[in-house]
Amino acid sequence: MVHYEALRHVTIGQYIPTGSAIHRLDPRTKLVAFSLLVLAVILATTYSNNILLLLLVLVLVQLARLPMRYILSAVTPALPIIIALALLQLLFYGSGSPDRPGASQLLLAWGPLRISTAGLRMVVVSLLRFLDLLFLTSLLTNTTTTSALTYGTESLLRPLSAIGLPGHEIALVGAIALRFVPILGEQLEAIMLSQASRGVSLEGRGRLRFIANTRRLANLIVPLFVDAYRRSEEMVLAMQARCYRGGKGRTHLVELVLVCADYAAMGLVAVILVGVIVIQYTSLP
Amino acid sequence: MNEVLISVQGLRHTYLPGTPLATPALTGADLVVCRGEIAALIGPSGAGKSTLVHFLNGLLRPTEGGRVMIMGQDTGMPECDVSALRRRVGLVFQYPHQQLFERYVGDDVAYGPRQLGLARDEVRERVRWALRAVGLDLDAFVDRFTFSLSGGEMRRVALAGVLAMRPEILVLDEATTGLDPRGRREVHGVLRRLRAEWGMTLLIVSNDMDEVADLADRATVLHQGCTALAGSTHEVFSQREALRSLGLTCPAPTEIVYALRQQGLPIVSEAITVAEAEEAIWSIMKP
Repeated sequence: MVHYEALRHVTIGQYIPTGSAIHRLDPRTKLVAFSLLVLAVILATTYSNNILLLLLVLVLVQLARLPMRYILSAVTPALPIIIALALLQLLFYGSGSPDRPGASQLLLAWGPLRISTAGLRMVVVSLLRFLDLLFLTSLLTNTTTTSALTYGTESLLRPLSAIGLPGHEIALVGAIALRFVPILGEQLEAIMLSQASRGVSLEGRGRLRFIANTRRLANLIVPLFVDAYRRSEEMVLAMQARCYRGGKGRTHLVELVLVCADYAAMGLVAVILVGVIVIQYTSLP
Repeated sequence: MNEVLISVQGLRHTYLPGTPLATPALTGADLVVCRGEIAALIGPSGAGKSTLVHFLNGLLRPTEGGRVMIMGQDTGMPECDVSALRRRVGLVFQYPHQQLFERYVGDDVAYGPRQLGLARDEVRERVRWALRAVGLDLDAFVDRFTFSLSGGEMRRVALAGVLAMRPEILVLDEATTGLDPRGRREVHGVLRRLRAEWGMTLLIVSNDMDEVADLADRATVLHQGCTALAGSTHEVFSQREALRSLGLTCPAPTEIVYALRQQGLPIVSEAITVAEAEEAIWSIMKP
């Protein structure tokens, strides 16, 4: 049985109100903390550091009271590709970087295939990083409404307007992009449904099915894009009709104010980043 | 006339089950449609009308409870052939631009018949017939780009695309929304002719009570995913208070007759169409 729920696997960008402490943080705090944590994930290349970070992120997910299964369901459709990439990396990474001889040992060599400790680490660290980034992105977008994210971004970018950076516009572009993800998902679902009722079957048969499948994909993408363009044109008109003219001189109903919890959260994240850097340059594996 | 083609009992459905975004759409919906009749499904927005419609040609199949029997086939059974079902039950969606996907109008209307494996001449004949049925001229429209059509034209082309498959049951999800009064009358004419000439069974989903009173023999009212009222159109619209409590109104003629009766006039008839209201008013004005 074919499911047409295209949104089932779009979990990033969906706001899930659970009313946790993380939900209540200022969006700016969450944005800064998110950036610092992503930086920490990028800097960490050792096993110990990555495992530590993953545990930490899992604690944060628990704190935000987000359902783990829901976040992980975003990975399910991409799982075959992730596994294939991991295998390729593991088998063909080679014997390690030549600039650090001795850092990597060969574990297995069979024909052209070589599994080295460096390759193994590469695969494990990449997978852990991937999970970290998925959880972090979910943490940010599942606990913050799009409008809060927009205001937060705008407010953080405000100092840069001195050098001519249009903070409000950048924030708006980001917000619209995020907002469009579920809309496009719903749209795709509707198109699939109406095509299925006219006798389009989603799984092809026979030897040349990939040609038929590609054509079918075009039949989905063309109406989707036509609709997206139409929608964005309508949005532009609606914005103009309401006299939208950018962020200049615009005030907000709710002014963002940082409270103690926000400073504490940012301080904690800064400590974590420093900790990760310290662990990275100690001799732990 | 009384052969039951669609029978839905106690149907339940939840969107995105098992996620924090799970929303119950149907909580016990019943629906009966007999051969050769025009049935109507009414209810306020968010009542689950479109969800219920998706069950009628196997786009959704009962998984949480309830039974859906379409022309003797139980769609809850895994062996039910939904692609055969979709040929016999044509579904016209609420938003026509989601239904059109070929570049030219002609190709789009021909898509269904081509999927059925019909010969070229037969396909052409069906396209001509379907476009004429919805009031569009084949030669003027066959080479138009689908995405350059106006809203009303898109609606007609989407209807033609489904008609070209010559379904036995035609389900229209708010098919006349966005049409001007004249276009609406034309579509109503088309629907009546489809039943009279081709013996099609129709189910219309509508928020326009006058349209329902005008067209339908039978009406089913959905409220929060549950069937609240069902029966002949006259029976349903005679329950004015019940409809009001569900946030729905009666057709304008019914309201007028009701208001006149409130004024003390001795009208007994439950008129739901303009013609019936006229007759009822005449009957008390004659000396």
